[in-house]
Amino acid sequence: MLFEYAIVAGVLFGLFYSFLSIGLNLVFGVQRIVNLAHGDVIMIGGFASWELYYTYHLNPLISVVVVIPPTVLVGYIIYRLVIGPLSKAKDPEMLSLILFFGVSQILEALVTIFLGNNQRSIPDSSLISKPVQFLGQSYPGVWWIVAAASIPMMGLVLLYLYKTKLGTATRAIMADAVEAAAVGIDVRKVSAITFGVGLGITASVGAIAPFMLGGVDPSEGVNLTILAFAVIVIGSLGNIAGTVVGGIIFGLALELTQLYIPSWSSLIPYALLLIVLLVKPSGVLGRRLRSA
Amino acid sequence: MALSTFALVSAACGSGSSSASSGSSASQAPSDITVGTLYSGSGSFADQSMPEYNGLKFWISHENSKGGVYVAAYKKRIPVKLVAYNDQSSPATAATLYDQLITQNKVNIFVADFGSVLTAPAATIAEEHHMLLFDQSGTGTNFFTPGNPYIVLADLPTSALWPKPLVAFLVKNKISKVALVYGSNDFDGSQDTTIVNGLKAAGITPVYNQAVPTTTSAYGTTISAIAATHPEAVVELGYANNDIAFLSNLQSSGTHFKMVFTVFPGQLQQLLEKNVGEAGMAYSYTYAAPPLISYNSVNLGMGTTAFEAAFQKQYPGPVNAPEVYGYHTGLTIQLALNHANSLSQLSLRSALMAESGKVTTLEGLFKLNSQGAQIGELLPVAQLMPTQGNANTSVQIVYPSSQATAKAVYPAP
Repeated sequence: MLFEYAIVAGVLFGLFYSFLSIGLNLVFGVQRIVNLAHGDVIMIGGFASWELYYTYHLNPLISVVVVIPPTVLVGYIIYRLVIGPLSKAKDPEMLSLILFFGVSQILEALVTIFLGNNQRSIPDSSLISKPVQFLGQSYPGVWWIVAAASIPMMGLVLLYLYKTKLGTATRAIMADAVEAAAVGIDVRKVSAITFGVGLGITASVGAIAPFMLGGVDPSEGVNLTILAFAVIVIGSLGNIAGTVVGGIIFGLALELTQLYIPSWSSLIPYALLLIVLLVKPSGVLGRRLRSA
Repeated sequence: MALSTFALVSAACGSGSSSASSGSSASQAPSDITVGTLYSGSGSFADQSMPEYNGLKFWISHENSKGGVYVAAYKKRIPVKLVAYNDQSSPATAATLYDQLITQNKVNIFVADFGSVLTAPAATIAEEHHMLLFDQSGTGTNFFTPGNPYIVLADLPTSALWPKPLVAFLVKNKISKVALVYGSNDFDGSQDTTIVNGLKAAGITPVYNQAVPTTTSAYGTTISAIAATHPEAVVELGYANNDIAFLSNLQSSGTHFKMVFTVFPGQLQQLLEKNVGEAGMAYSYTYAAPPLISYNSVNLGMGTTAFEAAFQKQYPGPVNAPEVYGYHTGLTIQLALNHANSLSQLSLRSALMAESGKVTTLEGLFKLNSQGAQIGELLPVAQLMPTQGNANTSVQIVYPSSQATAKAVYPAP
């Protein structure tokens, strides 16, 4: 029974991890840059959700949607002002790493200054007050709610990519930015929008992340960025569908380790990352990336 | 990683920095006594480190308001200057900054940041540089070894001693199926060892005993694994973030245990209540630490009531345990300076050893063992009793009976 519990928990957490990482992969796919402030954007989404809950009694599930438009706008502006010009530099990848590292530190410092360094939590009862019984086991209800919310949110990203004109342009840039520009796609504009969407979806997961992470605190950003990076590398860098697979593999590895060798639970998922890199450097769904 | 560095000068005094091993004539008296420490302005230890830092700052401002701390080596009061850097809860950053305090700032008094994780680098560096480490709350037993005179534990007893009353409570109540989950660090590991050995001495083998990473924030699967062993008591040993995650996950999983023990509700009650909620903490057990335990009959510094009143004027709000620890670290420094015949590090240590067992403070009897570890007071077992229909919880001491303020409710309803 414990094995089944860990599997179910792994899938639920896996869906959450996929949702948590998808924005990072979207930005990487288009820009070929790693947003080192990814985890800090999640943290800001968490604090926004906390504030909206305690000030306006807004259900965190609604906050998942509410935080998207302002973050998309901020992302778009940041891209146009900073990242776009940066891409003309000699070594844009390295410069963007440094840039986002700085952004990460600034965001953490600002939140600490204005909101304090204490961890904040939103009560589980704001989503569901009772546990969920499944296959004879009792699971925290919030796990199911968060996992269930993650599916349509990731579905929306896939819909955006595969069913909209903008998404098609985005995928064209992901495949080859030069060729996309050659066929008349406004690479800069589409990239700016995609960067905004990536940030929006990232802030959106932050709104419900406190239920899975035990709360939100200003310093959680770095660890979340590392976690998300592991997930997208396992799944396949630049492949959105791979992120879903990577998240579930990561979740299962973490929960099974917590069950059988808990003291190793912070190591095994990252050992898995190394194994994937050694055995299949392009990630589990790496082949699809090349045929996309 | 870029460092956020912050230096606070608490005394309006000259900038001359004094040597760590000054002579003792009045003419050579330093213009100030430099206390160097770190604090976690952010990160996982900020909740505990910042109040401890505030406690130390309070002691400094209190002494400086009297013209400084009395230094027996110079037979006069000398202002105290604080040099503090933000380690952001990172042991690696802390290691660099500890080194900087000694080699660049040349502080007279070297004080560690909160807890065993951030004290570990300080202990090594202090021994290397022959500086006496005023260990505030790094209670891991590994820091204290017979050959190292350069450390003294200012506050709580070593963590190996913490669970002794808890073990006695479990044995007395014939609770024989005990599950343990602990963070893989010195602080929690040494508590676990004490409990396991204590239970073993009573013929009890824990039904579950597993370490988890200190960074663990989700305990759902662990709780499920523990529940499968049908324990009569569950002891979770972690830092405040671990306790919050464990109690929250336990509540939301719908799992019920007859007894749940966690470390920090008795030290950071408001923080835990804010994050877990009163219902999630109701009937759980914890260590009762000062100021929950009051000591008003003291012969060094302020008693509990006087300290709370004075501290709240400077830092409004309920006083918590780390604030007491910070102030008590100051008292330990004061004790050393009041009695040492020079500012040499070993002289400071000798002075403290000589005063050990003679001093009572707001943390009770100040007593060190030969390795510099506190052994004065043990931490009673407390239970969080719901009041006003679960709207609030009050922490009641339930063991030992000599200190008890209420009878334990076991099994928890």
